[in-house]
Amino acid sequence: MTQIKYMILASRQGKVRLVKWYTPYTPKEKTKISKELPPLILSRKPKMCNIVEYSDHKVVYRRYASLYFICGITPEADNELLTLEIIHRYVETMDTYFGNVCELDIIFNFGKAYAILDEMLMCDGAITESSKRDVLSHIHSMDTMEGSDQLERITS
Amino acid sequence: MAGSSLKSFIKDVRNSKTLAEERSIITKESAKIRTKLRDDHLPAEKKRKNIQKLLYLYILGEKTHFGQVESINLVASDDFADKRLGYLAAMLLLDESQDLLTLLTNVLNNDLNNHSNKYVVSLALTALGFLSSSELARDVYPDVEHLLSHSKDPFLLKKALQCMAKLIAKDVSLLDTFSPELITGILNNHSLCSHGVLLGVIKVLQSILQSFTSYQEFLVEDEDEDGNGNGTHAKENKVAESNQEFFIRILEPIIPVIPHLFMVLQNLNAKNFEPDFDVQGICDPFLQVELLHTLSLFFQLGDELESSEILQYLNKFSDVLTQIATNTDANKSTGQTILYETTRTIFSLNLDQPLRILGVNILAKFLSGRDNNIKYVALNTLLKVVPQEPKAVQRHKKFISRCLRDFDIFIRKRALELTFAILDEANIVELVDELLHFLERTTEDDKSLILFTVERLVDVFDMYPITNEKWQLQVFFQIMKLVGRHIASDKISDILIIINNAKNSTSKRDVLVDMMKYSLDEKLSLEIPEENVCWQLASIWCIGEYVDILLESQDAALINQRSLTDYLCRCNTRYNEDNRLINYTLTAALKLSAKIEDTKCLEDLRQLIVRHTRDPDLMLQTKSVQYELIFRQPKAVKRAILETMPNFEKPHKHEKSSSSKPVKPRNNQPKESNLLFDLLQNDNGSKTSGEKKQPSSIPQSDLLADLFKGTPSTDRTSSRSSADARGIGLLSQSASETVQLPTQSVKIHDSDSLQVFTHLLSCGNGSSQLEMYFKALQPIEEIQSFCAVPKTQKLTMGQLHPQNSLQTDDVCKQSLKITGTGKLKLRVKVNFNKNGNPVNQQFDYKFDGSL
Repeated sequence: MTQIKYMILASRQGKVRLVKWYTPYTPKEKTKISKELPPLILSRKPKMCNIVEYSDHKVVYRRYASLYFICGITPEADNELLTLEIIHRYVETMDTYFGNVCELDIIFNFGKAYAILDEMLMCDGAITESSKRDVLSHIHSMDTMEGSDQLERITS
Repeated sequence: MAGSSLKSFIKDVRNSKTLAEERSIITKESAKIRTKLRDDHLPAEKKRKNIQKLLYLYILGEKTHFGQVESINLVASDDFADKRLGYLAAMLLLDESQDLLTLLTNVLNNDLNNHSNKYVVSLALTALGFLSSSELARDVYPDVEHLLSHSKDPFLLKKALQCMAKLIAKDVSLLDTFSPELITGILNNHSLCSHGVLLGVIKVLQSILQSFTSYQEFLVEDEDEDGNGNGTHAKENKVAESNQEFFIRILEPIIPVIPHLFMVLQNLNAKNFEPDFDVQGICDPFLQVELLHTLSLFFQLGDELESSEILQYLNKFSDVLTQIATNTDANKSTGQTILYETTRTIFSLNLDQPLRILGVNILAKFLSGRDNNIKYVALNTLLKVVPQEPKAVQRHKKFISRCLRDFDIFIRKRALELTFAILDEANIVELVDELLHFLERTTEDDKSLILFTVERLVDVFDMYPITNEKWQLQVFFQIMKLVGRHIASDKISDILIIINNAKNSTSKRDVLVDMMKYSLDEKLSLEIPEENVCWQLASIWCIGEYVDILLESQDAALINQRSLTDYLCRCNTRYNEDNRLINYTLTAALKLSAKIEDTKCLEDLRQLIVRHTRDPDLMLQTKSVQYELIFRQPKAVKRAILETMPNFEKPHKHEKSSSSKPVKPRNNQPKESNLLFDLLQNDNGSKTSGEKKQPSSIPQSDLLADLFKGTPSTDRTSSRSSADARGIGLLSQSASETVQLPTQSVKIHDSDSLQVFTHLLSCGNGSSQLEMYFKALQPIEEIQSFCAVPKTQKLTMGQLHPQNSLQTDDVCKQSLKITGTGKLKLRVKVNFNKNGNPVNQQFDYKFDGSL
């Protein structure tokens, strides 16, 4: 069962590039996690496992080029290996959307990065859609609609 | 101007050369946004731009609360671009706890019923999923329900389903009106069932299955409020009734879904290639894992309710699991993900043995691989599985030992815990050997692992009768040599006790002589670093105790009166900062003096003792003065006073039982005991001085034995065992720190072995503090308490204080803090051991007040 607590994208310098909370943490807790976690993850060596025990839960992360994708997960409920797959799916989807995605794409188009994420994970961090094509087609439709800026009747 | 677009703002922030410059850009922009957003006449275009910038500030971790209202205004706009950004901002800037959500209710209502644009509905659903407070959940529930029963669009259905799951989890009372046919209807309509919709259906099922307990509580409470719920018997009836109601109304209609889910799962697992859902040749691993987990929840609840309607499918489920376990490709990472979920399911349901063995073998195969993530989850799972299948796990000890050598400390830690978990009489020699190899390779970074290993090894030797005493002594000899400098003082005492209690004198002599070689021989002693205080301490102690045995050895060139005396003198100068070590040295010098003849050596020893008569440390000074007195006694008297130590009883009972459990995260217990240890050591010192004034009346050997009995565990047991012991001196008082039952406390639970009281310290304004007191009516050990509060509240619990094992009439307390809303009530579950048997007790208590 996927029940991701939060997702943080951090650069190799430890700067947060995107952050999404799926659990209602207090502002204090949020600050603590986003300050503590990136340095902890950055200090890990390449061969070490991608699952870290942190505070009262676990953290699963994966590095793509200069960007670290970090997910807090619910112990017992979440399947750590599946979380890694979800991260990968997200990256793949962004890769198709942006065409060879890089850190800068995400920095300048964080709105789109959030939109894609929101199509994949909902509510308490549950996976909502496993088809990459499905996610992308809806994002594209919304982009077009935003572009033409009109509320036309859309029939499915 | 340049700062006007989002892009240039981001660029400015990124291009700033110093942190101060960055800070100033951010502060300026933040202030500007704040002013702009206050302007009601700002054109829509500009508003959007400012909110976008605000979101960038959000990512940077800046304060953004001032944009909350404006983001809701954007949501209310008719323009799609506004709405999309507004919802994005609302999801990021607001959260479930905010009152502002009420502003959102109307807009959400409108958008959910928007029939012209499905993306507006979809955005509203997505936002609702993130921001549903229980109030909002009740308000929009009809809209979501309407969507579920009328929409034919899989895109909207999947989102509506996810929301439904969240709403039910937020407010279980919604189950009262929820109709399970909604779900089954969708599932039976194949044209609707995309993978996304299936994921949604499953999510709702998970939510229903998990809400059983809280829904049951809700029903009981409902009855209570009608005013006819009195007495525990009536309450039990209520619980049974509500069980029944939940079962018939909610569960029964969804049970037929089980075989349907089997079919979906089997189809997915057997499918070869479907481009949309393929991940490394596995079809939709996400859906497969969710299906497995949901089915597992079904059968867990079936077990709990003892429902034959659910459990009739268990055999079939076992077949499905076997099929998945054998057919899934274990070489792909997605395949491993599914296999891992399969094993988790097998063990969480504790299915039949053949399946459990299959599960263990899958995990063992994970261990033999190269991927560290796979190894980590395998070790983690095996650790939980050992109690169920010890033999099957033991069979893979080779792979586990290999993980002890892993590069990653997390893997080593798990492997270590697992090694101890599978250790038993049959494999002790082999595994201890592996552990010694492990210790050999440890570095400074592994300190916590070393401490853990040594501690557990001491326990292990306590637990299993060792036939080969020499081997056991050698193991500890090795441990002290390899990692002595990391060993905590109380563990050193444990090791000394083991040496002291060794029965076989030849093996004891051999090991002691070996040890002395490393201490005395010039070359060999280089292998023992100076920081290895444990080693020096043990050597000093052994010289004092076992002069006779040591001098009997064949190696007179190395071990003789002179060399032993010199060793003590060397330690005396080298470690003159370390009072504990000097303490041991003084005693050893005195004891040695009683057994040797050489006058030169005797004089050296006397000097060693006399030198401390002016020691700045009062304890050492007293000791030195007293020892000097004894030193001058005739040899016969001295010999009688300074006899070899008798066998020690190791007063470890309750500690042993706690360590035989699977490893849990360490609490701060050990730290505390170290602290106590120091306290007690001083205590011993002062006692020595106090009692020394009438030296003839007290048997000296006992006095010295005090030194070693100064482990915290001894004191803890003794202070508990007799009432007067508690009265002696301040120190023992502080060590046990007895808890008194406050007079205002209320009894909330009574049984033949345990009474529980509670005392409400404060209550109101959304938070409450209270204390629970556990009073033992019989000696009980290892109390663990678990509390639950209603869903609207949050509970923080302190630890049991001062200890979790109690003698008759002893009391321990625990502090609780509850925040949230609603009536104050508790469900408490207490586990403890009585005469070595586990006992569980559970009870509910309702306070008068509410938060």
